[in-house]
Parts: sequence; structure tokens; C-alpha cells
Amino acid sequence: MSTGNLSRLDPEEVARAVTDFINTTIMARTRPVRPDDDLELAGLDSMALLKVLLFIEAHYGFWMPDEDLVTDNIRTARAFAAYICRRSA
Amino acid sequence: MQALWKREGISNNTLMVVHCDGPLDHARIGRALDRFLDFCPWPSARLRRRLPWGPLHWAAGARAALAAPPVRHKRLSSPGALHAELEAELNAAIDPRREPPLRFAILDGAAEAAGLQSALVVTWFHPLMDPRGGQNLLAHLAHLDESDGRAPWGGAPSVFVTGPDPRPLKERGRLGRSSQRYMRTLVPEAPVSPGTGLTSPGRVRFEQASFVGDDHGLGGVRSTREICWRLALVGSTMADLWRRRGLPDLPFLVPVSIDLRPKGEPGATFGNVLAFHFARFKPSETADVDRLTRALRQQMTDALRDGQIDANAVAMEFLKYRPLALMLRDLPGTATRETFSFNCADLADFPPALEKLFGRRVTNAYHAPSVLPRPGVGVFFNRCGIKNNLVVSWIEGAMETQEVARIIEAIREGMGWRAAH
Repeated sequence: MSTGNLSRLDPEEVARAVTDFINTTIMARTRPVRPDDDLELAGLDSMALLKVLLFIEAHYGFWMPDEDLVTDNIRTARAFAAYICRRSA
Repeated sequence: MQALWKREGISNNTLMVVHCDGPLDHARIGRALDRFLDFCPWPSARLRRRLPWGPLHWAAGARAALAAPPVRHKRLSSPGALHAELEAELNAAIDPRREPPLRFAILDGAAEAAGLQSALVVTWFHPLMDPRGGQNLLAHLAHLDESDGRAPWGGAPSVFVTGPDPRPLKERGRLGRSSQRYMRTLVPEAPVSPGTGLTSPGRVRFEQASFVGDDHGLGGVRSTREICWRLALVGSTMADLWRRRGLPDLPFLVPVSIDLRPKGEPGATFGNVLAFHFARFKPSETADVDRLTRALRQQMTDALRDGQIDANAVAMEFLKYRPLALMLRDLPGTATRETFSFNCADLADFPPALEKLFGRRVTNAYHAPSVLPRPGVGVFFNRCGIKNNLVVSWIEGAMETQEVARIIEAIREGMGWRAAH
């Protein structure tokens, strides 16, 4: 994804992209998560969290700094999406 | 195995101890095990070489020739007797060339004053499966016990081992070699460990303590569930040990296991389903745990970004059953027979699905792996319900019991836990 249009990111679309990434690379095929599922309860661990951060870096062009890794920003795929959209606005 | 100890018969056992609220019926466990062999032979396999110079592999005969692993039953008189029994289990090294790679023990009547009635102990030869694999095996046995007479797993047997890596051999070979090259660059000098200087391996010991207290989740500066934070905290306790012993401020080298199973379902039971990241930091860098956590997280991110964790996973699979020996060949310091500075792992949650087992309620469960004479000490976390378990395994001669007690107390304090009753 180009980083040129970040200010026009659609939160729903971003939530879908984050959810798709988690489901294709982290979750078992039979246990997909939904945008509002608690990711830690779904089984995501430290390494899985880093994979999501790398996905965000690759697709949205920035690294989530340590101080932003708070529950409100990373609890669900939708929370990640809201953070990405805020950061990109 | 580590060349220095090749002929010493050192233990590669690992234990899973499951406390239950009443006596367990060993015949039920035996029946479940016997039934499991109808679907999967690996609990009765032997480690073999096809040729004297060939790689090791697990081999099992036809079902009729398979005998279920032993289930021992013993009545104990005190909690002290339980611990002695567990340490004996850890030290009675399984030789998978000549006997089944795992065995069961039911230790009844232990710690009755504390309300514990029975402990189920699963002991296995470590390369057979990892801790999650051990939990999966127990879940399969519990399922077979409950579905006695009916088709288990809804008629579609579970997957017990991971499938082969679909990538071409050439690509896997390239990744494996890149992992080996990377390992040679990890630290400038051989690490030291509490086991440095040991010339003969002593007995394996362990101490286990249960605590309660809230964990902070994966987010935030003090994310106490995050492996980097836990490793930083353990590192600071080890740095204290280094200072007391006057050990040099050389970088710690610590393997961090990464579970490769897809999340959300149990995944494979047998074989290696782990990759390793290698954390490096100096004892003098441990004073600020939060800062060290950030540095370790950055290291792990870099390894992931550079593909080193994937390459290690490929190398582990590619080198089939010889990963440790070959890994040691490539680590700095192999010539001086050093491996790592210490071991540290978070074995995560005991599956809530195993709340009940063979008709009994599980009150606690933890893992106690043996450690190699060098490094000689390992710290292992896991959770069971509300209990946070901490296990320190060590080699007699490498550590003193007071040093182990100090490590446990420092970690308890750092985690903000209080003793569980």
C-alpha cells in the first residue's frame, strides 16, 4: 500500500486488513478472529504482536512506538485500526 | 547432545506435574493410553538411526507390537516426599533407544493437609515434544477417557505431528545455512554461566512456587506477560548472581523459544514445533528493566524482520532430531563447551479445557524441565487458572539453594505477585 493516501484511510477497511493479516499468518484456519475479538484471549503472544507491528510498518509506513503499545491500541484488530487511522490523519 | 557430557548419561527428562483434587484411577489412564496407540504410535516409539552415520529418527512398529508406556502408582506420606519423588523422576534419565520416550506416575496422598490428593506426573525425553505438546497429549488422553466407547475427535482423529515444510529442499538448505551463519555472529565471546567450570554433571534439582497477582497484558511499558519483560526481569536477577560471584560482564546469551503452532487451537503434539530467538544483553544493562525490555523487544523485532526466526525454524526442522548438537556447533564458545548463560521460558497457560482430568478437578499444573550442566540453571513461568507458577531448575554444583531462593523472591517481587495458598 502506498503511504501517500494515509489521511483518507477508512477505519473499517483497515480493521479488515489487520484482521485478514492476523487470520492468514497467526491464527489457525479453523479459529479466525473478528475485528472486535480480544486478541490476547484469542491466543496472540509477544511474537504474534510483533508480527502485527511489522505488518503495520510494511503497509502503513510507520512503527508503533513502545509508548503507544497500550491495551486501548492493541486489544482488538479494530483498536489497531483506530490507532492507525489516528496516526495517519 | 553436548559433546562434553556425551557418555555421562545426563538427563534430558522434562516433567509435567498436574495436581488433582482426588485420587486418580491409574487403570483409566492406562486404558486411555492404550487407546491412543490405536491412533498414534509415538508414545511407544524408539529413537533409531537407519545407518550408524545417519540421522536419528523416531521409529514405531505395527500396532500389535506397541506396548503402552508405563503408568506407575505410588502412595506418598508428605509434600516433602512428593518433591523428592519428582526430582527422582527428573533424574531417572529416559533412554529412548531402549525404552518408551515417556512414562506416567500417579503420586497419591501427597500434601493432603493442603487439600491435594493426587499428582499426575508425565515424564518424557525432551526432544519427543515440547511443553505444549505434553499438554496436548494429556488433552487427547482425557478426551479418549471421556469418549470411551464412542468415536473420538468426532470421528476425525486430530493431527499429532506437523506436516513437512512445503518449501523446496534447496531453499530450506539455504535458510538453514543462513541461520547457522547468523548464530556464529551472536556474541563476540563465549558466554559464561553458573555451570561454567563444571567438569561432571550433577543431579538436576528444581524448586517450584505458586503465586497470585494480576499480570499486565501484552501492551504497555510494564507488560508483565510479555516475554521480553520477563526475560529482562530474570536477567536482572541473574546479573545479581553474576555480581555476587564476580563473574565477568560478558553478554548473556539466552535462547527464547517461539511456539510455531497456529494460534487458537492445540496444534501438533509430537516433534519440534519451536523456533528460537537468541537474546543478548550484558549484566550491566539490567538495572533498568523497562529500558532493557525495550531493547530486547527491538532485538526480537530485528530478528523477525530479517527473517532469522523463520530461518531458525527451518534449520531446526531441516536438521531433524540433531538441532541442539548442531546448534551448539555453531554457537560462539562451543570450543569451550559453553552454551547459553541461562535458560528462560514462559510456558503460558495450562489449557482451560483440562480443568477436569480423568474425573478429577485440576488444582494446579506446571512444568519442570531438566537443564544442561552448562548453563546449569533455567527459569520457567506458566499459569494454571489464577496461579502463576515459577520453576527454577538447576544442576547441583552449578547453583546453591540459597541462590535459587533469592532468584525466586526477586522475580516474585518484580512481578508484584504474592504467595498462593
